[in-house]
Amino acid sequence: MAETRGLLERRHEPWITLPSFLWLVVLFTIPAAIVFAIAFKPSDPFGGIGAGWTLHTLRSLGDPNYPAILWRTVWLSVATTALCLVLATPTAYFMARVAQRWRPLLVLAIIVPFWTSFLVRIFAWKVVLHPEGPLKHALAALHLVPQDGSLLYHSGAVLLVLVYTELPFAILPLFAAAEKFDFRLLEAARDLGAGPFRSFWTVFLPGIRRGLITATLVTLIPALGSYVVPDLVGGPTSEMLGNKIAQRTFSDRNLPHASALSALLALAVLVPSVLAIAMSRRGEGGRGAKP
Amino acid sequence: MPLTSAIGPQHHRSFEQGERVPAVSDFIQFENVSRQYGAVRAVDNVSLGIAKGEFFSLLGPSGCGKTTLLRMLAGFERPDSGRVLLDGVDITELPPERRKVNTIFQNYALFPHLSVRQNIGFGPTVAKRPRREVDEEVDKMLALIQMKDHADKRVDQISGGQKQRVAIARALINKPAVLLLDEPLAALDLKLRQRMLIELDMVHDQVGITFVFVTHDQGEAMSLADRVAVMNHGRIEQLGRPVEIYEAPQTSFVAAFIGDSNFFEGVVAEVTDVEHVLLRIDGFDDLRAFNDKGLHEGDRVFLSVRPEKIRISRDQPLGGPDHNTTRAVVDDVIYLGTHTRFWLRAGEYRIAVEQQHNRFVLDEQPIRWKDEVWLQWHVDDGFMLERYAESDEALMAIPPQRVGESNGALEDGGRG
Amino acid sequence: MKRSATPFAITVAVLAFFYLPIVVLVVNSFNASRFGGEWSGFTLQWYRKLLESPDIWHALGNTLTIAVFATIGSTVLGTTAAFALDRYRSRLQDAHYLLVYAPLVIPEILLGISLLLFFVALKVELSYVTIVLAHVTFCVSYVAMVVLGRLQDFDWSLVEAAQDLGASPWVTARDVVLPLLAPGIAAGALLAFTLSVDDFVITFFTAGPGTTTLPLRIYSMIKHGSPPLINALSTLLLALTTTTVWLSQRLLKEAR
Repeated sequence: MAETRGLLERRHEPWITLPSFLWLVVLFTIPAAIVFAIAFKPSDPFGGIGAGWTLHTLRSLGDPNYPAILWRTVWLSVATTALCLVLATPTAYFMARVAQRWRPLLVLAIIVPFWTSFLVRIFAWKVVLHPEGPLKHALAALHLVPQDGSLLYHSGAVLLVLVYTELPFAILPLFAAAEKFDFRLLEAARDLGAGPFRSFWTVFLPGIRRGLITATLVTLIPALGSYVVPDLVGGPTSEMLGNKIAQRTFSDRNLPHASALSALLALAVLVPSVLAIAMSRRGEGGRGAKP
Repeated sequence: MPLTSAIGPQHHRSFEQGERVPAVSDFIQFENVSRQYGAVRAVDNVSLGIAKGEFFSLLGPSGCGKTTLLRMLAGFERPDSGRVLLDGVDITELPPERRKVNTIFQNYALFPHLSVRQNIGFGPTVAKRPRREVDEEVDKMLALIQMKDHADKRVDQISGGQKQRVAIARALINKPAVLLLDEPLAALDLKLRQRMLIELDMVHDQVGITFVFVTHDQGEAMSLADRVAVMNHGRIEQLGRPVEIYEAPQTSFVAAFIGDSNFFEGVVAEVTDVEHVLLRIDGFDDLRAFNDKGLHEGDRVFLSVRPEKIRISRDQPLGGPDHNTTRAVVDDVIYLGTHTRFWLRAGEYRIAVEQQHNRFVLDEQPIRWKDEVWLQWHVDDGFMLERYAESDEALMAIPPQRVGESNGALEDGGRG
Repeated sequence: MKRSATPFAITVAVLAFFYLPIVVLVVNSFNASRFGGEWSGFTLQWYRKLLESPDIWHALGNTLTIAVFATIGSTVLGTTAAFALDRYRSRLQDAHYLLVYAPLVIPEILLGISLLLFFVALKVELSYVTIVLAHVTFCVSYVAMVVLGRLQDFDWSLVEAAQDLGASPWVTARDVVLPLLAPGIAAGALLAFTLSVDDFVITFFTAGPGTTTLPLRIYSMIKHGSPPLINALSTLLLALTTTTVWLSQRLLKEAR
């Protein structure tokens, strides 16, 4: 890259880098390190952090409660991501192929829920799924749910609302990738004898590979850390890791325990992130799709 | 105007004649400048002098260092070593805003948030000239480039040709001592490019300042420049008037980059007289060539002959000591309207010949594939190269022998 | 080539899925029935009640104040970060990029708890100040990414052109770089503002007792309060969001 003289020369680099760099080191890196450190601290009875070091907190993660919660967190997040991708990919495909004049309107239609208050979107589902709400009445009338059954407060409701809150985040990167895709490649595939489904699968999907990786990350990671959705539409049988962290922090005031759970969540998030980085690296090798 | 200028003294033994350190009188002087990017020597110890008022062109393929050299003159790059002088003053450390040098950028770099008028007035305005004076100057410039009606348009509302005129006006309003042009025609389509070429020439004649013009298009360089420096791998391969560069290329790179050529490898069999030598080249009867290099018997040589210098005929032409005559078999015939290009085989060599159609072609009995024909060229039309590299042949538009054997130059989209 | 109807059908279904709950919510905000099971007549009483709730307006005021400070802080830091990331290639920038990127891919709850533990460890009392510090921290990354995207399209030869025409570095920055990047920086600032206004999780962890913001208030209303009031409040927020989105789209269009 050519170096411009006068404006932003090499010697200016520290001055323009340090403000954000130091801010993030102090308020992001150090707090993250503290989470891991406090996991090795005992709690004190007043809701603070005790003196000395202990492995007690980590050992308590072996409590039979936790594997169940961890497992539920993982399967709900994976299911959310899978459903989001299944819905978002055809939508992104359609948005990228639709006539140019419709595109801004469609993008706007996706962005509005994306920008709408997170709590409001969850609350809207609480209204729809409410025992006295319209959906329940309709389904009960059709005898699809028992009259006294509930649409709320179980894992199904959590999954539905997680998909609802994450779906716009999955569509946007996929649309960005699909918009750059050269659709003549699909025509070429058809010309060479591939059916519509096969050409979608072997040409389009590899073509938007980066978009798929991004979409997976931006849905999976927040889903793994979700707290508000299971808190508002889930019940005691659909608690996730996030709920436990909040519970240990606010109700039990056991900060070391909350730290240990957070460290566990951080590791759970790290795995897909590292995988994604490795996959996109491999993609840069320029290898084409296998037929 | 000095015709012989220089490359660094230490490069090639054979270059020692005709090379010189830039004269003190040169308006622009590069003194042994070098610039390295990582492992790449973008500019490799270049010394060059450009006279006042000259239209000078730096010509070469992308990555040859021509743009870096220009940017050093503009002040956007610092040389790692060496000096740049303008009118005898060392400007190497002077920032761009303090040099009496202005640039026409490749994409014109017009400010998209300013109108045509504000773009042209940018220089005088930042120089804090009085508002009224700036307006007057801008009006004059608008009249000069015939864009008074477009003064208040935004730059994305005007055409490519108009953009170039605005870029020229924006530079010239500052009355620079030197105008630098970085491939200013590259963004235009062919027709417009030809028109702007003429406009540039007229502007140069009108303002009379020094122009330094960077291009990869030999046609642009040839038609506009008083002198051309052909660059390759950060060095100047050859410097001279366009006609010298074309008619007397010193290296296979120059011969192949500017037009096409045939290369023959052989040894000097005999120095026949003061001016000529007899060559021994495999597959040919003794060929003679003009000896301007003072070669001796036994020296290895590379002979270059331009395709249009060779005449082709069915019947044996009259010989004589001034001509080389040889037989060849036609491999390929390509009719190109103004001329026909023949590919012939003689011994191990594939020879390109171009024949102008200055008569009505249909009346002649045409030369066809597999015909055995005669080739002839004047001994003075063969040039001994000072340097030859086989890779340079890829620069020419030689058709592939078979499908798949295409050469690099064609895949790059060929050259202007 | 005949195109499959499946993508179209799925897109329609997705849009219906997006807007169905929102429509139910908006309609119910004008419904006289308290539970919204059935329509019992049009009313504006919920909006009137909303206007008469001083605690909501107090919370809104806090939210906006926090958002203004968070936006200013994160826009300055995010813009300088973007310039550094765009202009330099070095080890320092590799680390810098990692620092800027990481908060984007980490669940909010981890950011929230780590900041809470950080403040507890330093014995800093939780207050509006800690909320602003937290908001700046996660907004910096978003602003930096938006501005970085703009910078990648930025034609640096314009800077050279300005210098070539005699502009000093300061004049170049003021008259060329800033005007051209203003829409991008504004878009980043707008994003930071909306993120700050909307944030619940991180605020929840870094807010002290007695501190309240609009999302905190809405959360406790959802947990304990009256649904029709939230319907009305949500409808107002939706109207606000739509206007903001529309405005930002216009800003971005102007930038092109």
